[in-house]
Amino acid sequence: MKKLLILIGASILLLSACKKDTTASEISLAYKMISDKIWFLDYNQTITATKTSIKTYVGQSTYFIKFLNNLTTVDSDGITGTYSVRKVNGKLQIYVVARTAGTNTLEYAYEIETLGANNMILYYSVDGVTTKFFYNTNH
Amino acid sequence: MKSLKQLLVSSCLLLAGLQVQAQQSPSLKKQSIQSVDTAVLLHPFRGKVQAFKKIINKELNKVFIDFKDNKVYLLSGIGFSKQYINTGSYNSIFNYVLQNNNTSFKPGYFAGFRVDGIYKQKHLYSFAFTLDKISTGTSYSSSTSLEPFIGNFSRFKADDQFLNFSIAAHYKKLLPFKPNERTLFYVVAGPSIDTRLSGQSADNLVNNNYRRFLLRADIGIEYENKSFYTLFMHYKQGVSSFTKSPISTHLNSLEIGLLMKASDIF
Repeated sequence: MKKLLILIGASILLLSACKKDTTASEISLAYKMISDKIWFLDYNQTITATKTSIKTYVGQSTYFIKFLNNLTTVDSDGITGTYSVRKVNGKLQIYVVARTAGTNTLEYAYEIETLGANNMILYYSVDGVTTKFFYNTNH
Repeated sequence: MKSLKQLLVSSCLLLAGLQVQAQQSPSLKKQSIQSVDTAVLLHPFRGKVQAFKKIINKELNKVFIDFKDNKVYLLSGIGFSKQYINTGSYNSIFNYVLQNNNTSFKPGYFAGFRVDGIYKQKHLYSFAFTLDKISTGTSYSSSTSLEPFIGNFSRFKADDQFLNFSIAAHYKKLLPFKPNERTLFYVVAGPSIDTRLSGQSADNLVNNNYRRFLLRADIGIEYENKSFYTLFMHYKQGVSSFTKSPISTHLNSLEIGLLMKASDIF
């Protein structure tokens, strides 16, 4: 009987003790949601300590960026390059290394505030000013 | 790890199967020529199984002394399930729009076996072992929105497909209602423990949201057409949360199925 109880106990322990790499899962899910889509800029929000201003581009010709499955990117300004999703200081970022039409190298990283199958909010902060970009796949 | 899990589950099922056979009353049958022939041949695997069975029987007979008159039934049926979700203070960078969320009970199916017997020649009981393919609707009690940019959404996306191994213990009570000699009605109640065998979706792997085990309370009625079949309808109410804190998820199911004596089929 003791052996049977040990066997059952060990089975329960093994079934419940598996731990997955959650950061890898998070990055993998982010790639899945971002890639193979065209993201159109709907709103642009600027937040300072005293003021929040918002610009809307809904219903207008607006900036867009494509994130392709082969980890390359191209935007409406003709900037092409590669992108990756990474986690820095506990926050997910989209990191882009690109070239302009004039072959100048461009490197930037936006943090992800929220990400869905058809929407995402990216932001960056410089000198106490936060700029948020509201992207949508439906335009 | 996956194959080890499968091996463990198979072992548990084998143990359960052996237990079931162990509690059947022995019957004397005339051996056919074929069975006499095969009995003479050496069967090393069968020998090992018999020896293992003997050990298990010995151990189980020590514990289950007053569990008599056990009969094995095969069961299968359809189960309608739904998850009631309260995300609480759960936070994630991912969002899931709830616009096309299906809140109805969705159908799945289950199959397995059940051992019915009498405890101390007075109390009717049953132990059921089933594999459940669960498909669920999802009802969220709270949602967030970022109007006008995003409508109602949740930070948590409930999985809607599961493969569970369920073990249930029921106390059975015969109802006095008896339309004719061949018909019996029972009311049954008891706990059930579900073990999730299927993996989680990519959305839930991020925070390992789903638990491996789920405790549910089972209540139902059974109609027995004596010696032929039993029709049953059970309602399973989630007692413990299927997801980890702070998300609270209760999985409820309505199961409708049929029981038949294993000896009538095989």
